[in-house]
Amino acid sequence: MNVLVIVEKKDGEPRRVSLEIAAKAEELGTVTAVDVGGDRLDPGAAASALAERAKAADLVLVGATPFGRDLAARLAAALGRVYASEVADLEAEGDGLVAVRTMYAGKVRATVRLPLPAVASVRANAFPLPEGGAPPKTETVHAGGAQKGVEFVRFEAAKESGGRVPLTEARAIVSAGRGLKGPENWKMIEELADVLGAAIGASRAVTDAGWRPNEEQVGQTGKTVTPDLYVALGISGAIQHLAGMSGSKVIVAVNKDPDADIFKIADYGVVGDLFEFVPAFTEELKKVKKGA
Amino acid sequence: MRILVCIKQVPDSTVRVKVGADGKSVATDGITWAISPYDEYAMELALERKDADPSTVVSVVTVGPSRSRDALRQALAMGADDATLVTGAAAEAAGGIALGSALATVVREIGPDVVLVGRQASDDEQGLVGAALAHALGWPLLTNVERWTGDEIWRATEGGHEVWKATGPAVLSVQRSEKEPRYPSLPGIMKAKKKEIPEKDLASLDGGAAPSPSVVAMEPPPARGGGKIFKEGDVKQHAAAIAKALRDEAKVL
Repeated sequence: MNVLVIVEKKDGEPRRVSLEIAAKAEELGTVTAVDVGGDRLDPGAAASALAERAKAADLVLVGATPFGRDLAARLAAALGRVYASEVADLEAEGDGLVAVRTMYAGKVRATVRLPLPAVASVRANAFPLPEGGAPPKTETVHAGGAQKGVEFVRFEAAKESGGRVPLTEARAIVSAGRGLKGPENWKMIEELADVLGAAIGASRAVTDAGWRPNEEQVGQTGKTVTPDLYVALGISGAIQHLAGMSGSKVIVAVNKDPDADIFKIADYGVVGDLFEFVPAFTEELKKVKKGA
Repeated sequence: MRILVCIKQVPDSTVRVKVGADGKSVATDGITWAISPYDEYAMELALERKDADPSTVVSVVTVGPSRSRDALRQALAMGADDATLVTGAAAEAAGGIALGSALATVVREIGPDVVLVGRQASDDEQGLVGAALAHALGWPLLTNVERWTGDEIWRATEGGHEVWKATGPAVLSVQRSEKEPRYPSLPGIMKAKKKEIPEKDLASLDGGAAPSPSVVAMEPPPARGGGKIFKEGDVKQHAAAIAKALRDEAKVL
């Protein structure tokens, strides 16, 4: 099959999820890769610019970033194609594809059949990134301007957001909840995240209280994440939060309440004071990473 | 201004969902139904416009089986002015593209200036209807909308918000409202009970056949648990033990 991989760039470099899907696409068929670099891209304008190329492909793969999810849905709609969003696995079967994706806010894992031609957005960390593999050769498709009928006015940067890997692509996430007691206590969370090279997440209680920006919210109405390591600090584990992070490979939880639901899905847990745990854990991780 | 909000009835977020006997759908017995969370945010955004300008008319529509009437009743109780149920044999299984073109017909009849949809329904989580509807109408679509005040539409992007303006009709796919979605008031509930909810047959709308994925199997997510939980003792020692275990046992460092 002919596979079109749409490579998304961030700060001039292909995003990790784009490289993951490009490697996977090589297993599935003949790959054409295009990139749509540039900041402040309008997904609507990008979809129009890519439509002709997408039409020629049996399968279009896009990383399920906020931009990618948007773009993929628009391409499927414009071309009238079978569509699956946030796919976690994908294999060729017969003359179509079989995909695995979560439904019902992570409470169900569904296997779905996709007849071709199809469009899919793919979650980060779904496929391994081959070591030492060269990034795919891409042709740049220019997608400037905006859709008809809307005008871009300005960008408002979030205050707290700075230089970290996006949550949905992070290999490690340090996530904190109401147990932190107040926004002034996030410094220790940042220090821990720095040691792990982690993104910072939050429970809904914390984003609703305005302690942290909404884009850090993990869970049903926030981000669904699938890192190798998820550290949940002072998060009790409401069903909506668990739905967004229980696909993590390894979960570490710290909470004062021994009956907190988060312990039911944790691989490692400590019932205790996180203000005591976090600084100690940060120091120990530094040692362990040095090989002690 | 007239705003049309498209909503979907789904299992309530707090419900534990179980796979049904056929192994490819969800067991519906004992389920509490609710408006999908992102659609509630869309309702709230629309109703805030009505709070600011009482001449605003908020209409609401859903496509679904007849039980979806309860979701419309809920939306009316929250403050919507009128509601339309699109139903029929195919209503439950219709894919995003078919829904988009059916809803486009409803939009043309109702004539709103702006259409709001939730970012995705919390059951199939596809997030396709907004794009399909915008395409069918030939209207622009702004996604991940979190705020709509005056003529400014704020959409969340990585690292902040893009502020946009619509110069004509538009579809907004909503991800959040600044305030939590309101609860229906008692007078609202009483008023909603008296309202007629007209019904349309999905087959009579220009839905057409559109390809969509078919579910082959459903299963619960892989079971977790049986982790190593330190319930007492020295927290600092536990921190050291876990740090080592992450490297040596779990191999995630």
